[in-house]
Amino acid sequence: MSTILLVEDDPDIRRFLRSTLAAEGYRVVESPTASRGAIDAGTHKPDLAIVDLALPDYDGRELIREIRKWSSMPIVVLSARHQERTKIEALDAGADDYITKPFGVGELLARVRAALRHAARSPAGEMLVLGPAQVDLQKRRVWRDGAEVRLTPIEFRLLAHLAKHLGMVVTHRQLLAEVWGPSYVEQTHYLRIYMKQLRDKLEADPMRPRHFLTETGIGYRLVMDEET
Amino acid sequence: MRIVGWTGYAWALGATAACTVAGLAMRGRFDLVNIAMVYLLAVVIVALAYSRGPAIVATVLAVATFDWLFVPPQGAFTVEDAQYLLTFAIILAVGLIISRLKRNVRVQARAQAKLEAAAQTERMRSTLLASISHDLRTPLAVMTGASSTLAERGERLSAEEREALARSIYEQAREMSERVAKLLQMTRLEVGGIALERDWASLAEIAAAVLSRLRERLTGHRVVLELAEDLPLVRVDAALIDQVLANLLENAARYTPPGTVVRVRARREAQELVVSVEDFGPGLPPGDIERVFAKFEHGAAEARGGGMGLGLAICRAIVGLHGGRIWAEKLPLGGSAFRFTVPLDEPPAPPSEPALA
Repeated sequence: MSTILLVEDDPDIRRFLRSTLAAEGYRVVESPTASRGAIDAGTHKPDLAIVDLALPDYDGRELIREIRKWSSMPIVVLSARHQERTKIEALDAGADDYITKPFGVGELLARVRAALRHAARSPAGEMLVLGPAQVDLQKRRVWRDGAEVRLTPIEFRLLAHLAKHLGMVVTHRQLLAEVWGPSYVEQTHYLRIYMKQLRDKLEADPMRPRHFLTETGIGYRLVMDEET
Repeated sequence: MRIVGWTGYAWALGATAACTVAGLAMRGRFDLVNIAMVYLLAVVIVALAYSRGPAIVATVLAVATFDWLFVPPQGAFTVEDAQYLLTFAIILAVGLIISRLKRNVRVQARAQAKLEAAAQTERMRSTLLASISHDLRTPLAVMTGASSTLAERGERLSAEEREALARSIYEQAREMSERVAKLLQMTRLEVGGIALERDWASLAEIAAAVLSRLRERLTGHRVVLELAEDLPLVRVDAALIDQVLANLLENAARYTPPGTVVRVRARREAQELVVSVEDFGPGLPPGDIERVFAKFEHGAAEARGGGMGLGLAICRAIVGLHGGRIWAEKLPLGGSAFRFTVPLDEPPAPPSEPALA
């Protein structure tokens, strides 16, 4: 049974999240403040944390940074709409995914399951299946419909970094820093160009990608299949 | 303010000087009274064109020059004939009266403009309130009724009935939160509280993301994507352009019959990118096409659960912030097209990578 830490100050939102998550078989630990959340994260050793960004005592982003100092547990943030900047900052602080309020339960559970799956995955050890394409990350080889596809070193690094966070959101800044280097974090157009190349090579319909997904204004997400 | 003031005084000086030249030319051939008239004319013109200060200066200058140069004894401020004192007084009085009248007119015009602006705001506010009370109260009524039934009478209902009630609460709440979000967005755009976060973006990516997000709402329609293969990148706030495209597609889904085609197109035209959403529905309402972009302007299909009439107004504000244009067209074979442009910037230097090994 997975334990989920829920850091959220609104009691009504906590109530419906608690009953939903409990009904799905998760054990839920509730923290109404960031400081309480930081303590509970240490004592309860949860498998995943859901963190609201607007907390009464201090900012959720700060809490994420604290947790990241000692734990790699998946963190999903709850954020208000039209706050791309805040979402990006939370993701850059170490959150793995976000969900925008108001949200339906289906959407939330999908995010939670994907995040737990991501945490349980052995890094780089498996074959990725992306529709018509297969990727062997260890051997650095890619096939499409059975035929080998040649990727440039940068294309492969980009694919590998997205695969490291399979199912999760990776921000533009993180991708640029990892693939090109820290001095390239402003060069967003590099990403546009290389994502198009990857989609052209690996997606069945590059115009309507099903694996290399765009999180508009935030970053990208690689998903194996229509993960629900 | 200061510059305007000084030009007034300069004109007062200039006008008096011009009168003096004219008066000197008239001397000997015209009565002094006529020369006084020329000065009076200058005072009237200055008083009409500028504020009180320049009018007074013009009057004093006019009286002084007239007295010094023309009224005997010339070359002195003494006056032999007392009737000229009356001339001076009249010139002075005319200058003051006109500048005063002028000020009253200006004050009245300002008050009138203020009244009109207030009336306009008031009209806006009442439309807004009417809209809010209709578009938000109806779902609230449904939600209150359905949820109280569930809470108080739930055990007497079948599982299907309970689910149907819960689902209608969910749907109404979702619809309502969309509406509130649009209202907030419109308000933010109007008070100028939105700073563009421009970044290099791909319109193809934005379109794909919008289509995937609106998949459910567009299931009844056949969506065709026609994007030029070599679309240049654009420097935009991608999240906002995403909203523009989403609002246009939502409208197409709302106002055209199921089963029809909705076409999203983008192509380069000179120094801009033109993005279109074309539909094959009943077309635009008759009359002024521009009106669809006004706030709280609903399409004909309001009865089928239309929005608040903010979608296109939001689109127009966002496109405007980006320096583009947005307009609607009637298509020759029926249906309508909504198009917007995004100015193209100098493309950034592409990344360099050695070719495939």
